Amino acid sequence: MTAKKPVALRIGETHVQAVRDTFPGSVLDATWQAADQVTITVPTDMLPDVVEFLYYGRGGWLPNMVANDERPLHGCFALYYLLSMEESDKGFVVVRTEVDPATMEYPSVTPRVPACVWSEREAFDMFGLRAIGLPDERRLVLPDDWPDDLYPLRKDSMDYRHRPTPTTDVENYQFLYEGHAEETTQVPMGPLHITSDEPGHFRLFVDGEDIIDADYRLFYVHRGMEKVAEDRLSYDAVTFLADRICGICGNAHSVAYAESVEHAQGIEVPLRAQYIRSILLEVERLHSHLMNLGLVCHYCGFDTGFQHFFRVREKAMDLAVLLTGARKTYGLNLIGGVRRDILDDQKLATIKYVSELRNEVEALVDMLVSTANFESRTGGIGRLDPVIARDYSPVGPCVRGSGIGRDVRFDHPFDGYKFLVGMSARTHDGCDVQSRTLVRVEEFMDSLAMIEQWLDGAPQGPIQAEGWQYTPNKFALGYTEAPRGEDMHWAQVGDNQKCYRWRCKAATYSNWPVLRYMFRGNTIADAAIIVGSMDPCYSCTDRVTVVDVNKSTSTVLTKSQLESYCRRRTHSPLAGKGW
Amino acid sequence: MTIIIAILQAILLVVVAPLISGIARKIRAKMHSRKGTSILQDYYDLAKLMKRSEVREGGSGIISRLMPPIFLGCFVLIAAGLPLVMQACPIPMLGDMITILYLMALPRFMFALASIDSAGSYTAIGGIRELLVGVLVEPSLILVLFVMASAVGSTNVGLMSTAVANLQATPLVAVVVAGVACAMACYIEMGKLPFDMAEAEQEIQEGPLAAYSGPSLAMLKLGVSLKQVVVASLLVCIFLPFGSAPTLAPLDILIGFLVFVAKVLVVFLIASVIENSAMRARYKILGRYTWFVVGIASLSLVFLIIGI
Repeated sequence: MTAKKPVALRIGETHVQAVRDTFPGSVLDATWQAADQVTITVPTDMLPDVVEFLYYGRGGWLPNMVANDERPLHGCFALYYLLSMEESDKGFVVVRTEVDPATMEYPSVTPRVPACVWSEREAFDMFGLRAIGLPDERRLVLPDDWPDDLYPLRKDSMDYRHRPTPTTDVENYQFLYEGHAEETTQVPMGPLHITSDEPGHFRLFVDGEDIIDADYRLFYVHRGMEKVAEDRLSYDAVTFLADRICGICGNAHSVAYAESVEHAQGIEVPLRAQYIRSILLEVERLHSHLMNLGLVCHYCGFDTGFQHFFRVREKAMDLAVLLTGARKTYGLNLIGGVRRDILDDQKLATIKYVSELRNEVEALVDMLVSTANFESRTGGIGRLDPVIARDYSPVGPCVRGSGIGRDVRFDHPFDGYKFLVGMSARTHDGCDVQSRTLVRVEEFMDSLAMIEQWLDGAPQGPIQAEGWQYTPNKFALGYTEAPRGEDMHWAQVGDNQKCYRWRCKAATYSNWPVLRYMFRGNTIADAAIIVGSMDPCYSCTDRVTVVDVNKSTSTVLTKSQLESYCRRRTHSPLAGKGW
Repeated sequence: MTIIIAILQAILLVVVAPLISGIARKIRAKMHSRKGTSILQDYYDLAKLMKRSEVREGGSGIISRLMPPIFLGCFVLIAAGLPLVMQACPIPMLGDMITILYLMALPRFMFALASIDSAGSYTAIGGIRELLVGVLVEPSLILVLFVMASAVGSTNVGLMSTAVANLQATPLVAVVVAGVACAMACYIEMGKLPFDMAEAEQEIQEGPLAAYSGPSLAMLKLGVSLKQVVVASLLVCIFLPFGSAPTLAPLDILIGFLVFVAKVLVVFLIASVIENSAMRARYKILGRYTWFVVGIASLSLVFLIIGI
């Protein structure tokens, strides 16, 4: 553990001091997990005040809150409100508080800082910790037929293989209507909707074709990854599980997890590995943004554009094959470095791919912007008000399209991003689908430039750190900017070479709560494109997988095994199955 | 003799409609840089659907069941009456513009009625959109046909066709402007992108079509393809009748037939290119496009009145 009294002024020191000055006696403890991460412990009753002060008073944004069952360690549950300080003294301040296991209650922060709403709902689902004053106490993560008194992430509750008997046969989720119009028609969109391809149930409250309000139910395919990671995997295997969080931006999760452990354990990742990680993160952004640009076309009924973006996207996938050996940038990260170097001929080939991609995408974007109806389909649609954005801490192109330049790559530079020259976060002020699309276009071009800079600048050297010491029970944050926004992982290792608690927050988790506001005032015709402009990732949010751990670690998959696995994945009615 | 031609041309259009939509799909694939399916794909689809059993929505009534045959039947009737290969109408009674307009309105009415009959919310939205398209487009079409009727002195489409073919339709400018307006109205009426609102896949999951399956879906799909061909033929036979058979001589009929096929293909080629280079218009601003068409149609009326 680092010393409690810092010698020089550390990152986050000013914030801690400000909390001390404003709320005397509130800071029981302040420890630094990494250079830019400080955790302060506050009394439970001071929690809403301190979080609100840091959020609105000191320019903090809230990625999420982590609940943790620390009864085996010191007898209490603990809550960690992660705050990303982005105005002055940039860094992370984590507000920790302990919850008495006898009452299982704590004052809700949501009425003061709405961004906490999903995390506090999840804390109840997973641990049974009740936030007093939480305006929305519905279930968030667990399925409707999950038993009421089974809290999966409590250390003493259940084995990860346990499948409780369903308690009900019908969906009983209440959709909330917050509009004012007296008479509305409810239009269900999903759980399976032609254009979303992943399960999410949107309930649109409409008057004619106008959407008055909307509510939604997600987590149909919760995979219980955090539980699996805690019970089944050793901490250094979780990087590979983290890859599988998302089908698009798995590498961002993997890097975030690896760095959370590295930060906690004080592991210095070699410079070359840092460059390689960044290059792969940007390769991921290339194909992800191309996909979203294609999908914007598709949602508008412009399949010609869709097909052409996907044709060019193949080139980005080829680039991934070149650098990682597979179309997805999976399986590259280890704690302490990466598994695969970029060789000289790969570097030259990459540079060639990058220039080809630049030319082709420029031409396509010109075509897209000049397409009839592009302006009218996307301009002014799905408005995300900056005020709402400030309250809910959305991330990625979603918030950058509303003129707020939040980008982990530039707010908290990590890995190769520390060495970038002449780059900054891209923003547009339109607050609409068009702005979000244009942000993605510019970021795509930036990614190409970044990859070129890093390929030129990467120093020679080892790609893995060696000879470090494993210290139990240390925790820290890891963060990356995935194509959809910031991924935030909080990991604490235990004394058994496993994760004691791993909480991964995918980008879209922060974006869903604002969707309701983006829907309002638009028409049903725009619903799909509004969801699409968020570039949502259902499975990331759900942290769901049907990864069969035994197969992926111990045996080689035969073709027929793989086929039956694919079949099972496609045809199994995951919703309602729980874990 | 002419009644045989009427029956033959109706059968021909029904048989050819899936081929033409198959060709449109091929063009679409080429513009997408895809290889695309065979141009016969629509026949395969229909054959497969005919073999499937039919699933009906619970609670839907007779209207839903009657809609596909009525939809298809109306367009078959129109197809029989239009002066396609010859300049005159094979069955004069069916060639009256009032009859044609009502035969086009009936399927739309049934389509909307069936969509309300269904329990699905997207289905109902699709039906309402279809009605909206009708309300906005039909006036221009009526206006255009009225201009033509005044220009040639008859409401019979065959006489309009003959007059235009012989360049006797006056005043010329009014007729040309009416032709432009008619082309636009027909394009919207064809229900292709950017105006395929009632079936918009991404927005309302194909609307009323989602409620059908098996043979009725086949009938409906055939009906939709046939509608596109019929609407294109309507435009061709009134404003571009050049090359159609003036007499019943076999050679004339043969030439008329070939020319007709060529003209329809050209119309579909142009429509496909437009279809694949635009985004779907927002349902709310459809009115702006149709006002433009109404404007042009009114212009032709003005030219007709002042006689240029």
